[in-house]
Amino acid sequence: MRSLLNFLLRFRTLILFLILEAVALVLIFSSHSYHQTVAYGAARTVSGFVAKRINAGTNYFRLRHVNEELVAENIMLRSRLEQMGAGMQEHFLTVDDSLIGVSYSYLEAKVVNNSINKQKNFITLDRGSRHGVTRGMGVASSTGVVGVVVGVSPRYSVAMSLLNADFRLSASIARNDYFGSLAWDGISHRYATLSEIPHHVRITEGDTIVTSGYSAIFPAGLLVGTLTGEQERGGDFLSLNVMLSTDFKRLTNVFLIGSLNREERHNLEVEVTR
Amino acid sequence: MKNFSRYTGAFVLLMVLQLLIFNNIEFSGYVNPYIYVMFILILPFSIPSWFLLILAFLSGLAVDLFSGTLGVHAFATVMAGFVRPWILTLNITSEVTDPDMSPSLYRNGLRWFFFYTVTVVFVHHLSLFLVELFTFSNFFHTLLRVLLSTVVTTFFIILFDFIRPRR
Repeated sequence: MRSLLNFLLRFRTLILFLILEAVALVLIFSSHSYHQTVAYGAARTVSGFVAKRINAGTNYFRLRHVNEELVAENIMLRSRLEQMGAGMQEHFLTVDDSLIGVSYSYLEAKVVNNSINKQKNFITLDRGSRHGVTRGMGVASSTGVVGVVVGVSPRYSVAMSLLNADFRLSASIARNDYFGSLAWDGISHRYATLSEIPHHVRITEGDTIVTSGYSAIFPAGLLVGTLTGEQERGGDFLSLNVMLSTDFKRLTNVFLIGSLNREERHNLEVEVTR
Repeated sequence: MKNFSRYTGAFVLLMVLQLLIFNNIEFSGYVNPYIYVMFILILPFSIPSWFLLILAFLSGLAVDLFSGTLGVHAFATVMAGFVRPWILTLNITSEVTDPDMSPSLYRNGLRWFFFYTVTVVFVHHLSLFLVELFTFSNFFHTLLRVLLSTVVTTFFIILFDFIRPRR
């Protein structure tokens, strides 16, 4: 017993060191989904409040740029509206319901906190559960995909940015519909990598990359970026360098995308594949 | 008691600087200075190592709570707190007459303080960036980020030590 005590006393610093590191690691792993700790929720409310005040000031200087983007988006939407009027109904039954065929709903939101300089970047938005935001909703700006909501409080929500080492997106080449997995390489905030594209696919510089719609988070065809032409051959697949269409460094206005049928689709997929 | 309020003040000041200014430095993702490590550096020579570890853990945890990375900074600060006594014994100078004083540029000289700071900061940044990513893939990219951030952090810590009140 005495020798055990002596041992503990002699190595008390080392033992304390190991205990504290173990506690830190447990904290890291248990808070893996980032937002779930109660303590963090409190800090979030405080820092969200501060960030909102700071943002109110900086937003003013971006107005010109935001205006330009909005005008461009208006024109795009107007032209799409024209096309829709001419479209044909593709249903077996005729049901007089304006919601048929609508599978996504949109909600505009402001970015109140954003970072691009870490390996795991997150974006705080000024919309929360009070406005109907739930986990798993997509976030996009008028220029393209931004991220996915991972945490919600009554007034704020936190989205995992595309510029996050853990982020994966099912994306396809618009011209020939081959799909792969898009991830950030952690190096530049302007570029990401589209992998799992088969060797025989012909690609050209400037090809548009869009969302594939396979995940039910984003609708198909949402802009992600363009190919730069740089590619890496490794194993059975190609990895392509993608220039992102969204400039994360000046993100102000985004919209949240809620899928109305996601649950039904998810349940069906689980039921069948089980 | 006087010491207690002095170090608490230093801690709060460093925390505010870190969260409001240094967390927002953007240099294409390569430079992330974490100057709050200075708190661990300036604790007095005579501090018992177990107490140093606990303070290091708490300071890391405080940064974690405000930047949403629970455990990551705590891991790195404990690592820094663990190596600090070793580095002190490695290049301690005979000039340490009062063990209650804190290591500083003014008393220990630029050369000594630089090597002391740069080693502790490097250990902190290396463990921080590796634990943050939890992978060794792209190791040299991470190492480059560690080195660049270490240089910038060291620069600011030496600058702050230059202007900090001398007891």
